[in-house]
This record gives sequence, C-alpha cells and structure tokens, in this order.
Amino acid sequence: MTQDEIMTALGAIFIDVFDDTSIRVTRNMTASDVAGWDSLTHIQLITAVEQHFGVKFKLNEIMKFKNVGDLCDCVEKHKS
Amino acid sequence: MPFNSLHYIFFFPLVVFLYFAIPSKYRWMLLLAASYYFYMSWRVAYAGLIVASTLVVYVTAIWMEEAEDARRKKFFLLLSVVFNLGILFAFKYFNFLSTSLQQLFDHWQLGFRAPIFDVLLPVGISFYSFQVVSYSLDVYRGDKQAERHLGIFALFVSFFPQLLAGPIARSGDLIPQFFEKHDFDYLRVTDGLKQMFWGLFKKVVIADRLAVLVDTVYAQPTNYDGFALLLASVFFVFQVYCDFSGYSDVAIGSAKVMGYRLMTNFNRPYAARSVPEYWRRWHISLTSWFADYLYLPTVVKRRNWGFQLAVVWATMVTFTLSGLWHGAYWTFIVFGMIHGTALCLEVLTRRQRKRATAFIPPRLYSFLCLIAMLVFVTCVDVFFRASTMRDALFIIPHMTLGTVRDLWGVMEASSSLVAANLLIQGLILDRYDILVAILLIVFLEVVQLIQSKIVISDYLRTRPTWQRWTVYYAMTVAFLLLGSFNESIQFIYLQF
Repeated sequence: MTQDEIMTALGAIFIDVFDDTSIRVTRNMTASDVAGWDSLTHIQLITAVEQHFGVKFKLNEIMKFKNVGDLCDCVEKHKS
Repeated sequence: MPFNSLHYIFFFPLVVFLYFAIPSKYRWMLLLAASYYFYMSWRVAYAGLIVASTLVVYVTAIWMEEAEDARRKKFFLLLSVVFNLGILFAFKYFNFLSTSLQQLFDHWQLGFRAPIFDVLLPVGISFYSFQVVSYSLDVYRGDKQAERHLGIFALFVSFFPQLLAGPIARSGDLIPQFFEKHDFDYLRVTDGLKQMFWGLFKKVVIADRLAVLVDTVYAQPTNYDGFALLLASVFFVFQVYCDFSGYSDVAIGSAKVMGYRLMTNFNRPYAARSVPEYWRRWHISLTSWFADYLYLPTVVKRRNWGFQLAVVWATMVTFTLSGLWHGAYWTFIVFGMIHGTALCLEVLTRRQRKRATAFIPPRLYSFLCLIAMLVFVTCVDVFFRASTMRDALFIIPHMTLGTVRDLWGVMEASSSLVAANLLIQGLILDRYDILVAILLIVFLEVVQLIQSKIVISDYLRTRPTWQRWTVYYAMTVAFLLLGSFNESIQFIYLQF
C-alpha cells in the first residue's frame, strides 16, 4: 500500500469521524487544525483507522502521534 | 501552615529572601528544608510518610530503568504504585470500607465487628501520592528518565507551594526547573505577588463571605426551603471555585516569585458550554492526571469492545474514582457518577445534537448551553457539599420546586421590598450582605472575562502610575474592608 493510498483512505475516515465534509487531510495537519479533535475523538479516529486497515497500534504509538504524517507512517509500518 | 495564615506571611518572605541571597547551587537544600518545615508545622510525624514515599518511589524508578526484562520492570512499577496507593487507602478509605461493610453485616444481622482505624488524614496525601504515582508511570513508559539526585527528587515530592493541594505537577515539567538557575527578575516577582494577592482576595473576600451562608444552611438543610436552599447552593458553586482557584493562585504565585512555573489549574470553569469542557477548565492538573493515566489508557485498551462501549466504561470508572478521590463518602461517588453519566450522554449524542440544534443560531445556542451548565453544576455540587445523601436528596427537590413556589409568592407581594424580605426570611444574612456577596460574584466574573481577553497585570503596567496605583489601592482597601480574617476557615481542598 502506498503513502498516497493511505492518505486518501485517511481523508475519508477523517470526514466521517469529525462529521465535516470540508476537511482536507495533509501530512502536517495536527489536532489544533481540526475543530473537535480532542483526546477522545483522537481514539475514535484511531479505532476507525485500525478497523479500516485491519491493524492494531500499541498504546505508546497512539499517544505519540504528532501529526497525520506520523499516523500514515505507522499504518504503513504495520501493513508492511 | 495554610496560605491564609499569619505564619505563612512571615515564612514566605523569609524563604524568598534567603533563596535569592544564597548561591544557586545550595538553593535546593533551602527549599527542601523550608518545605519540610512547612509540612511539619502541621504534624511532625506525618512527614515520615512523605520521606517513605520519596524513598520508595526514588529507588523503584531507578530499578525500573535498570531492569533487564519487562516483567521485572512491571514488578517495580507495581511495588511503587501499590505502596503509595496503599498508604492513601489505609488513611483515607479504610474506615469507609469498614463502616460500609459493618452496615451490611448489621443488615444481615451478623454479629461481626469490622475494625476501625483511628487516625487523622495526612493533609496533602491525595495530592503528593498522585504526583509520585505519575512519576513512576512516566518512568515506566519511558517518558521520563529516573531522577538520580535524591535531594532534588525529594524536593519534587515536597515542594511547599504545591505540596498540600496541588497543582499536581508532572515530573517532566517540574524536576528540570530545580536544575535551572533563577535570577531575581523584578517583573516576574511582582507578577507572582499579584497572583498571590488575587488568590487571597478570592479566598478571604469572596469564598469566606459566601461560606457564612452556605455553612449555616448546609449544617441544617431541613430547616430551610425554597429560595434559601437555592441561594446557598448557588453561593457554594462560587465559594468552592474561589476557595480552590484562590488556593491554586497563591501556590502558582509563590512558585513564580522564586522562578518556578506550575501548571494552570483553572480556566474559568463556569464559562464551559458542556460537561467535557467543564472538566478541561476545572482542577486541570487532576483532570489531566486522570485523563492521561486512567481514562485514555482504558479507552485504548477496551477499544475492541467498540468505541461507544469503551467510552462508557472508561468514563464511568474514571469519574467514580475521581469522585471518590475527594473523599470516602457516598455523596462524592454520586457526584462523580452523575458527571460521568452526563459526559457519556454528551459524547454519544454529539452527532444527533448537532443535527437537532442546527436551526438555533450558534450564539444563542452557546448561551443556552452556558445557562444549562450552570444549572447542572449547581444541582450536582449539592452532592459535593451536602454532609449526607439524605441531605442532598432533601435539598434538590426543595430547592427547585420550593423556589418556584417562592417566586409565585413574590409575584403576589405588594412591593419589591416585601418580596425581597419574603425570599430571604430566616437566613443568617440581611439584604445588604446578600447584595454585597452577589456583587462580588459579578465582579469576579467580570475580572475573569477581561483576563481571558488580555493579561490584566501586563495591561496595568502600560498605564500611568496614578491609574495603576488607584487599582492597587482600591483592591487593598476592598480586601481589608470586605475580607473575613479568620484563620479557622480552612481551604476546602485541604481536607481531601
């Protein structure tokens, strides 16, 4: 799976979780860029990402994502 | 020694003077000695608990870091956590468990006597034990290196500004600051002093004034009805805020004078528009402790149950325990569980509420949420303040339905004076006292609203001297005229 494919899938997940069709996901995007992205929606997001890609992150991975790029890299790592 | 005591007024300037007079490398020793003196002026023997806790946490952290396999590492973590929470349990919860079991035994008519442990709760234990547990967990997770300097570590556990009632510091924030050199910076020192003054103002002028009415009504709530109960409950909402945020301001200000930055503990909680937002603004150092070490790990761990169930489980566990953290009483457990239930409903109905309220203009909706939160907090805080569940369950219906009845009577009153007298009859305060109290609450909220837009102390600095000093004098005069100078009125959070 390429980075671009992952980012496209993430885009759809973000729109669904945050219930906002105007979100355009970029690698540098952080929690402060998205209204309603708090620690709880973060985990909701992670759960949705795990389900979609069929992967399972570790607790310290989840707590240490700095931006969408980190999340994307982590998905790639688990898929390979 | 509490911050509102004469003792602290002499102690603090002396420590600060010595602190800046001696070379930087000896300062930790001074602060450590001052911190233990500060604690021991209450009870000498109980400082032994802090020493024990410090030593256990210090060595287990180093052993955790040096442990070769994961099981040993986990063993040392458990050793530290069980030791600290075990002491907390023994002093704070053992009797609660014992008397609850006793009631159960009596109910079943078993002739068993549960043991009762006759001890005084060590002041500050709920705060410093949480602080050291967070340090152990940080070292375990690899977020923080184990501290090797025993003196600095002991100071981290006992640092006097935040020892008795927080803000609960994180090792990653506070420990490095003890290695920094802090110069005497005039602006920082005066900012710290102003924050201490504002904290004492909130405590001595506002909280203690409101306490007079709250304490008399809540001592015998069944003697009152309707508006009197409502007024006492609303006053308590502001009393507990001024009391604890005032305490935190003195703590943060005291540390700031010496150059240390402690965590912000309050951010206008009564401006919250939802329960989650309220908890992000109220007692932030405790809420974030629960969020980082209990709530979020539980949601993550249980996410295979499905997100919604995981959230409900984690929320209820966290809020029940955070209610219980305040004290071993059923009223606190109910307080936590009501907040937990409300938070679950909010999180789970986010989408539906967004759709259902789309037709309401956003500003109006936000205002309605603000009012709804104030009503909610006033009702739930009844459980926080009431001495027993029986009292709380008497107050809630009588203060709501009774007030409606009282207002009905007011509408039939011949003049506004008669109406006012009707509402406050039987209360310990007269019309003038109640008016002053309400004006002080309004003053508090206005100051905080301004403070949320600009930093008031920075703004004052840009004004001409006469304007600046008019404000300082006015505040000092108000402090002296309106304050209740009675050391026996304890800070509420010192009992937790």
